[in-house]
Amino acid sequence: MAKTYQEINEKIARGEAVIVTAEEVIDIVKERGIKDAAEYVDVVTTATFGPMCSSGAFINFGHSDPPIRMGEIHLNDVEAYGGLAAVDTYLGATQPSGDRGIEYGGAHVIHDLIAGKEVHLVAKSQGTDCYPRKSIDTWVTLDDLNEAYLFNPRNIYQNYNAAINTSSRRLYTYMGILQPNMRNITYSTSGELSPLLNDPLLKTIGMGTKIFIGGAQGYVSWMGTQFNTACTRDEKGYPTAPGATLALIGNMKEMNPKYIRGAVYEKYGTSMFVGVGIPIPILNEEMMTFVSVENKDLYTNIIDYSVQKKSKPSLKKVSYEELRSGSVDINGKIIKTSPMSSLKMAREIAAELNHWIKKGEFYLQEPIISFPMGNSLKGLTINEGGLR
Amino acid sequence: MIKKILLSFPQSATGKPMAVELVKTYNLDFNILKANIDDNVKGMLLIEVTGEEADINAGIVFLRQNQIGVKAIESIVEVNKTECVDCGACTAVCTVNALEMDENWELVHHKDKCLECMLCVKACPTRAIHALI
Repeated sequence: MAKTYQEINEKIARGEAVIVTAEEVIDIVKERGIKDAAEYVDVVTTATFGPMCSSGAFINFGHSDPPIRMGEIHLNDVEAYGGLAAVDTYLGATQPSGDRGIEYGGAHVIHDLIAGKEVHLVAKSQGTDCYPRKSIDTWVTLDDLNEAYLFNPRNIYQNYNAAINTSSRRLYTYMGILQPNMRNITYSTSGELSPLLNDPLLKTIGMGTKIFIGGAQGYVSWMGTQFNTACTRDEKGYPTAPGATLALIGNMKEMNPKYIRGAVYEKYGTSMFVGVGIPIPILNEEMMTFVSVENKDLYTNIIDYSVQKKSKPSLKKVSYEELRSGSVDINGKIIKTSPMSSLKMAREIAAELNHWIKKGEFYLQEPIISFPMGNSLKGLTINEGGLR
Repeated sequence: MIKKILLSFPQSATGKPMAVELVKTYNLDFNILKANIDDNVKGMLLIEVTGEEADINAGIVFLRQNQIGVKAIESIVEVNKTECVDCGACTAVCTVNALEMDENWELVHHKDKCLECMLCVKACPTRAIHALI
């Protein structure tokens, strides 16, 4: 029996909807079978909490008197983009600060704003007839800003590589510190709880899907950059390599600093932990089949990060059950595995989203458009001297 | 008994051979785990002391009488649980599993296992791991 978004929302309004997390649903399906479980469960909540570099915030500061057309904008000594209108900016999460480098970057400024801290704003201008002021030096809080919203061009990768290092030198990467001679493996996923692994063909997640982002109710605003729905998949449709991504939007004024955290990857750079939760409506048995996926059925490749090329070789294809077991066997060598994203936080977010829906504070939004399948990636060709 | 002790030497004490007194006078063995001593500036020494409890205590009194800061510690690093997000990045570099994820994927710190390499301090993305030295 198929359900519509409207029917599920009506059940939420009546307080009758059955909402479980993507981990809890696995046992429900085992007990009841797909058909019965699809009728019983209305919504499955999914979540992830990991470092997502392609993140940042649009901010409007409001006009000073006399007004300024801001350039060379800095927030706590982190440069923000000055190529928008007079007092608009975009602050990228990975931008390092002038004084503290990668130890304090755009992500930390975003976290501090959400935490209600005062942030030091400095900007310059040549001065124009309409914007005469030539410099500004002041302190602002989130409450002082007209608008402040996260607009993250690429978040919550649908599956990602695990990382290893076959060289004799320690590597410092966005996948953490990789010890020489294959002494560790790192991976980053919430696996069977991960949003895009529970809807592998993006049947319910599209533009306009309402989500949990950083503790606020936000939306999927577009497909993410490097959107690769033509990635390799298993026979059931689950990606076995980096696949879809999402561009996400959410109001910083409604966020909780617990779910947006600055991150520093040694000798690599600043990133931002972003907490995201997505509800998946169980419209039919097909969706119930998708969300019942387990870590033992989700695979990724262990990629050698010591190969300094775009395309790095895979040493082994492994399931997330194997990665989470604490070690993986590669040609008889037992290698320790460690996560890079927080499963504990992801579980907290899935439970929080579940709670919101149960209380009737969060309703499902049917996507306005679906995203294309079969979208592949282009590389960047170096054309010295131009194309002609 | 074995005790891990962090010694901090003020400028006035950096020129004197103090630690050796622990062996000569107080009958203690010690193993230097970490040392950071700049002559005439200040210094830090992390030692693991082995001996009778009374001798260790007498040795500590002697050091303190000579203006040396003495702090018994379990591990050279501390995890600030309010800053930690339980991601697990630190466990990737901890070869002795002093830092590991428990069955609920929460970080646990077995201080007694720590070998003082301090690589976890660099590996922690939220800078929640602080070194005492």
